[in-house]
Amino acid sequence: MTHLRSKRLHALRTSPHNVTTPLDPEEESRPMKSSIRNRRSRAAIAVALGSVLALTATACGDDGSGSAGDKGNEGSGKGEITFWDNNGGVRTDIWKQIIADFEKKNPNIKVNYVGIPAASAQSKYDTAIQGGGLPDVGGVGTAMLAEVAVQGALEPLDSRLAKSSLNGKLSQKLLDNSRAAGGGKELYQIPTSSNNGVLWYRTDLFQKAGLDAPTTWSKFYAAADKLTDKGKNQFGFTIRGGEGSIAPALDAAYSQSGVTSFWNGDKTTVNDPKVVAALEKYVGLYKKDTPSADVNNDFTKMVAQWDSGTIGMLSHNLGSYQDHLKALGADKFRGLPNPTLDDGKRVQISNPVDGMSVFKSSKNKAAAWKFVEFAVSHEENSKFNQSAGQIPANTEAAQDAWIQKAEPTKLAAEALNGSDTTIVQLPYYLPDWNTISKADNEPNFQKVLLGKMTAKAFLDTLADQLNKAQADWKKNH
Amino acid sequence: MITEIAPAPERVETRPTRPRGRRRAWDEVPRRHIYLPLSIYLLFTLIPFYWILLFALRPAGSTSLVPWPMTFDHFNKVWNERAFGTYFQNSVLVGIATLVMTTLVALAGGYALARFDFRIKKAFMLALLCTQFVPGALLLVPLFEIFANLRMINSLGSVIIAETVFQLPLSMILISGFIRNVPYSLEEAAWVDGCNRFTAFRIVVLPLLRPGLIAVGSFAFVHAWNHFLFALMFLSDQSKQTIPVGLNTLMSADSVDLGALAAGGIIAAVPVVIVFAFIQKWLITGFSAGAVKG
Repeated sequence: MTHLRSKRLHALRTSPHNVTTPLDPEEESRPMKSSIRNRRSRAAIAVALGSVLALTATACGDDGSGSAGDKGNEGSGKGEITFWDNNGGVRTDIWKQIIADFEKKNPNIKVNYVGIPAASAQSKYDTAIQGGGLPDVGGVGTAMLAEVAVQGALEPLDSRLAKSSLNGKLSQKLLDNSRAAGGGKELYQIPTSSNNGVLWYRTDLFQKAGLDAPTTWSKFYAAADKLTDKGKNQFGFTIRGGEGSIAPALDAAYSQSGVTSFWNGDKTTVNDPKVVAALEKYVGLYKKDTPSADVNNDFTKMVAQWDSGTIGMLSHNLGSYQDHLKALGADKFRGLPNPTLDDGKRVQISNPVDGMSVFKSSKNKAAAWKFVEFAVSHEENSKFNQSAGQIPANTEAAQDAWIQKAEPTKLAAEALNGSDTTIVQLPYYLPDWNTISKADNEPNFQKVLLGKMTAKAFLDTLADQLNKAQADWKKNH
Repeated sequence: MITEIAPAPERVETRPTRPRGRRRAWDEVPRRHIYLPLSIYLLFTLIPFYWILLFALRPAGSTSLVPWPMTFDHFNKVWNERAFGTYFQNSVLVGIATLVMTTLVALAGGYALARFDFRIKKAFMLALLCTQFVPGALLLVPLFEIFANLRMINSLGSVIIAETVFQLPLSMILISGFIRNVPYSLEEAAWVDGCNRFTAFRIVVLPLLRPGLIAVGSFAFVHAWNHFLFALMFLSDQSKQTIPVGLNTLMSADSVDLGALAAGGIIAAVPVVIVFAFIQKWLITGFSAGAVKG
């Protein structure tokens, strides 16, 4: 046996396939050193070549050029441009229609549509700003406008708008919002549509309980109490306690407080005693007139819960209209603008304005601007907003027949442009706004709902952060 | 002629038996103490699946707790109107290519780690482990720049390479563990019989690695199938996007079609469930084999 083993090891050591033979008869399992042999090299090369060929077959990509530092150029106004839709998916079809109309009218320009999921749009823009690959033109809402603009990625559009056929045809309020969200000096976004806060309520439940429509805050609180019957799993209201909770909470607080400005000099009014008292009253609804699971409500859960349960009222925006229509049918619900104070005065926070921006790195800004002009023209803007159920930025589109028939949109447009409405401008222009209004304070709002933090402490913390962010912003502007 | 047939030997019980004392204790446990917690656990696991099925199969607007009347409208909508057919094909391509590339490279690298000794081996192993602590999101910008320079942005190749690279460290470590468990003397015997190293590996070692390869391959496939970030960042054309990105496009900023989302979720989950159903046995064998140091 030993003899056989020695023979085998001898054979191994003299084998042409093994140049180095570090095998120790005592330790068979010890790893051995080896050099690369020709045959293995060939096999490795074959595998590598195969992989490269396979990847080449799948790799008909582009170089992703166009980052924030790239100044781009005006271009010929012809050729291909790329458009990023910041709310891809549900709006893909309508954008493809608009693009088809545009290409028919401008046969020399081809628009490549890229739909990006709404929740990931900012990450995609941020990565492209740093790594390259920005589009020529893209959808940029006011909620992310400051962060994109501050990185120097956007083309100022004032002079283009002044010379355009769009000049004078866009809602001045929305243009002001767009300008403010971009830092206040230059216009980086052409608004396409506005959303607005809507108090959706179940008409069948209100009728059954003999309640008036919740047009004022007093009626709202009375209805929330009367419609709640926990034994029957019926609630008066559903509150947003999870992701995205800060803006609706501020909307409710400012709306009831009557405070009409977000800033008093350099200090925010967010912890004004009237705002604090209003927020205390609002969060007092939690568990009393709302389901206890609301503490984790993002808009998806909140809307699904309202559409499938027995809940009297929901505060959301125009965007969920189609969901309610599918779930409840047209006869069981209505949408009103946020309630007014008892004297009829309406205060509401500024809602995000969606719009289009031209990117500084574009090599064909002329064609990109043509596309913006076309998309926000009367006919196309009307078509787009009818599909999205939002308020058109084009004032001619806002007069179209469909908007008169879509009650929630019509009432929201009237509230937005009404003389009795005061809009509290949220500081979307602060690059830290998204962090402050989301990651930094949403957990604190949940603590307020759960009674682990007072509304005053919550708003004081928020005010400190906002005041610091405002001071930093002022230093640089 | 009468042939005597020997009586069949008594059947020998070969199943390992539990020690007597422990068996008595086990038998004394009321069955409800076992089945009740298991049933509760099962409920928690299965209710979300039932919820998805319910929303996918009942008509929009229905509040019924059973999917009746049943409709396939949501499936039809996501497959035909929301291009899930295309997303599905792309995900299959990315998943299979990642599986093949990860397994091949991990096999080569794992063999080197298991069988060869080189100066920086320990440091290399440590580096492989350390890569597991780096989140993919942190490397997005450099990866984006690399693929942009290679003109591979908006190509499935970029996603396949990125997924493979992220899968390799763990796969190599796992495969090297499996290879260490195969006695070296088996390879030596094959060399004596005239095989070169590659042939010996292919004929002797590779068949013994089947559980390990299935474990590593299925991990690579499932990870590539589910991964969202790289596909979102590196791909732009709708015709090149994958299932996770498609699922995300069903959620707009202010509105979610829950029926379509549930149907999309089922389309995304079915291949993974099927893969696991077929390889379950191998997967468990693979993990337990890899867990023992050779």
